[in-house]
Amino acid sequence: MYSNIIIPRQWSRLACVCRSVASIEGQKLPQTSISSDGISPPPRIPRGSTDILQALAATVGNDPTAAHYKYHDDPFLIPLSNFRKRAYALSAEAGRKAAAWIRDEHANLFTTREWDPPMKMKTPYFNADPQIPAYAPKPFYNDESIVTEIDLKYTIDNALLEDAIKVFELLGGESGLSSELKLSFLQLLCFYNEKEPVAMEWVEERWFAAATRERHATTWKLGGLADKIFTSMEPKTPEAYCAIIQGMAKYFQAERAYALTQEAKEKGIPLSTSVYNSLLGCIGFLKEGVSLRIEALKGLLVEMDEQGLSPNTETLTACLKSLSAWGGGKTLQGVALQTVAEFRQLGIEPSLSAYYYLLCLFCKDQGPKIDILTNIIADLEKRESLEPTEAMDTNFFITAMGVCSNHLQDINLAERLHALLMKNDNYKLVGDAYKESIYYRHFVTVACRFAPFERTTQLLDMLIPNIYVPEPSVMEEILKALELQGAGARLAAAWRELLVFGHAGRARLVERLLRALSCCGREQDDEVKEQMQTVAADILKYGELAEEREEREDRRSPTQKLSARALSDVLELCADARCDAGWAAAAAALRRLRADAAEPAPAARAALAALAPRAARHAHHALAAATVSYLAECGFEEAIPASIETLSVILNRTTEEVGKLLEENKPSLTTSLQPAALEIAQAYHTAKTGTPLRDSGSSTSSDSDSESSDDD
Amino acid sequence: MYLIFCHKSVILNKLIKMSLFIRNYKPGVAYNAQILWRFNSTTAETVKQGEDEEEFRVLDILHKKGKLQKRVNRRADIQPDRSEKMPTDQNWGNVWPGPRSFHPSSVPLPIRQGYVPKGQAPPGKKANAELMKIPNFLHLTPPVVKSQCEALKKFCTSWPKLLNSEEAIEKNYPMEIISSDYCHASPTIRNPLARIVTLRVKLSNLKLDSRARDKFLRLVGDKYDEKTDLVTLTADRCPVRKQNMDYVNYLLTACYHESWTVEDWETDKCLEDMEYYDFDLNPSKKNLVNWYLMSNNEDNNLNDEQVKNFDVSKIPNGVEYKSAVSELFNEGESDLALNKYDTSVRKLLGLPEKKIAN
Repeated sequence: MYSNIIIPRQWSRLACVCRSVASIEGQKLPQTSISSDGISPPPRIPRGSTDILQALAATVGNDPTAAHYKYHDDPFLIPLSNFRKRAYALSAEAGRKAAAWIRDEHANLFTTREWDPPMKMKTPYFNADPQIPAYAPKPFYNDESIVTEIDLKYTIDNALLEDAIKVFELLGGESGLSSELKLSFLQLLCFYNEKEPVAMEWVEERWFAAATRERHATTWKLGGLADKIFTSMEPKTPEAYCAIIQGMAKYFQAERAYALTQEAKEKGIPLSTSVYNSLLGCIGFLKEGVSLRIEALKGLLVEMDEQGLSPNTETLTACLKSLSAWGGGKTLQGVALQTVAEFRQLGIEPSLSAYYYLLCLFCKDQGPKIDILTNIIADLEKRESLEPTEAMDTNFFITAMGVCSNHLQDINLAERLHALLMKNDNYKLVGDAYKESIYYRHFVTVACRFAPFERTTQLLDMLIPNIYVPEPSVMEEILKALELQGAGARLAAAWRELLVFGHAGRARLVERLLRALSCCGREQDDEVKEQMQTVAADILKYGELAEEREEREDRRSPTQKLSARALSDVLELCADARCDAGWAAAAAALRRLRADAAEPAPAARAALAALAPRAARHAHHALAAATVSYLAECGFEEAIPASIETLSVILNRTTEEVGKLLEENKPSLTTSLQPAALEIAQAYHTAKTGTPLRDSGSSTSSDSDSESSDDD
Repeated sequence: MYLIFCHKSVILNKLIKMSLFIRNYKPGVAYNAQILWRFNSTTAETVKQGEDEEEFRVLDILHKKGKLQKRVNRRADIQPDRSEKMPTDQNWGNVWPGPRSFHPSSVPLPIRQGYVPKGQAPPGKKANAELMKIPNFLHLTPPVVKSQCEALKKFCTSWPKLLNSEEAIEKNYPMEIISSDYCHASPTIRNPLARIVTLRVKLSNLKLDSRARDKFLRLVGDKYDEKTDLVTLTADRCPVRKQNMDYVNYLLTACYHESWTVEDWETDKCLEDMEYYDFDLNPSKKNLVNWYLMSNNEDNNLNDEQVKNFDVSKIPNGVEYKSAVSELFNEGESDLALNKYDTSVRKLLGLPEKKIAN
């Protein structure tokens, strides 16, 4: 049933070949673009089918204000946190996947050719004209399918591993296949270790795939289908040996791979360079101890030489991979440098993966500082283009940036590296979402610590939030840098960023922000100060809301509360409040401090003492009273002058008069003063004598007055 | 107090509008809804005060309006429009690289559009359907066009130097082939209109004598335009452009060669078969020549062939007479033609000019 679609598929491939041949021929045309006789048109400048599109695309640069084009360009739909970025992109792809599933599952429903007049005969499974194979339903194989070798070839060519196994079984296993097809099937199985790969078309899934660190464990399926097919092959060709040995070595079945190599050598079967490359990569599994391993590595290289095989870049990468996997130390580093030098003599330049392994070997976090990165970057800058050749190439930039940030702590090198990544088409070497995020984490960290402040802000504006959303640790670095430079307006804006990036619930970061705000608060303009106080009020309000929500919904993980120190920071910041928000923030902070019965930080004492009279001056009598009584409750000496001064403001008398008044007329005060002033008077007496005014004559227990002060 | 009152009246307006909507709305009647929608989208929010007072208050037992009024909680983590963050020296081509319908948060321009009663400002750019409806050319600003042209220059060959004028082009490339390419988003890249091929050539560029030209024109029929001297051949009968192109070429070739072939019966054509008046063939010329020779006392025994080849310009005012007669016969009688004939005859015969009595 499906064999009829195979033929057009082959046709399209043939057409593709023809096209490429045509373009090659086209390039032979003379390159002069000038008419020969002034009349006839000059020869056409040869170009590929997408060259014009690419030229036009090259005119479009980067827009730092926009999100990636896979997201909707709308403030409501632009994702601003890592979680949302992932969720939005993957849900869009899930939709595409669902559509593809329906297309494959119900292929018989998609029969219309929309562009045809309705009278014409309808040809099934033609989704476009000319046909687009990627959008056509994929053939579906189950136990009832009638299959031929063409199906197997199709599944192998398109790397549909599970389908290929199914078709293989339907075709009758090992016996019913031509040796050629059997070999390509074996190669497919060995390459993927009988595991279905994620299809190339699911771009987002590959981009966001959880970056599992490559496991150096034996994952090769012993006695699996690949082994069976290999044993059934008779005679065993060199290609078959190459395939199975490389597969085993790739999935770390080192002993068997080595044994098979010996077997092949005894039989006189020639092996390829890539077989030796893969063996070099897993040689460490055969031997214990660094010196023995190095011996084995050298032995293999000598063996290659004896076989007459010339090494290539992958050989160098494999050697360095093994060396870096065996730990660190001078010996291994020496051998590695020696290897690179020898390969250089052969005219083989290290690839990005080779440099990655070198960095792994030399730049250990705890080890001594070794600067090999400068030379590496200088070498890479000289190259015209960086073409990805191996899978590990994508690890280079993230590791190198990590070295810049943690190991060398060199911003100039980091800038050079970043410039290299931005050159030409190199950004594709950044790897996946996870690696990109780590890369920028390192970059922003090193920039915050060591770059000039203008450059840092420029970088932050460019990267955040569309390219990179800072993690809590990086956010802390950013806050530190902003605090150091006293960038008040930016600090005030940072709260909004925390909120948007989903870090607002992290007490540590919020406290850090409050600390920074209160530190820089003094030197700022009034306008900025007002903004900062508004931010402080917002933070407290957010905390209250979160607590309310927690009570209502009975969350499992409790929200972290702000510490007394953070609340003191708020008080300090709002000590010279001018706007209502500032007063509100101060009042809220004070309320919470009293509710937690916590002591303010020493620095906040003076701020509190200053706050009280000022609050009184601005007619916030309740706040003034609360401040003074809190000071008194905590037993600070500042309570006495503060209460006198505040009271003098409220009563509009001089401080001496108030002092006398407080000293002399104890009983009459209770009746003559307004509640706020009375409270201040009480605080004065608490601070002075340790007992409140009202109780000086009576015998009420101290519990009741703590209650009464709480009521206020 | 006054402020509060104003606020209330706005809410009242909204309520009234909503009730208006509910009462006018009948399920399945799209017309009403559409009108209302347009009303909402393009006119300013206020309704005249006079209308409020005319509305009856509706008894709202189930408190449905309260439900409608309920505001949806806004998300806290919405960032401000990105147009606010854009620097003034940015490259606009990067922000708006391709054709796209208008989006207010990405365009940093204070645009307004929509119909409003006199004296009010048109609605702003947000949630403005009018701005989304019209096509925009924000992706083709002059700097972008310039940079794209620069990018495409490397694919362009230089114009041949000698083809520097329309005449030179016409001379070197007398034949024109016109066909159209179509580009659209659809499952197919084919468009049936792309098969049509038109060929245009100036008749004067074909090497034809008067007989062949006459025959060519008869073959071509209405494909020839006298005003522009262009022969236009169009083919759309074959399914593919290549075939139509071949067919058009074939048509031109066939017509050309056919017009040069002389059939036996073509010699049988006599004066009566002429489709136009040729002065040289007609007795009128013979009479003129005879009269002229006689009046000059010259030999008067010319045969037909000599009469036919006699140069009329030798006769004073002969050319004028010839054209007047030809015009009279070829274009039919008209006051102008008759007057012209009159004057030319008077001149020829030396008669005095006609005196028009007023």
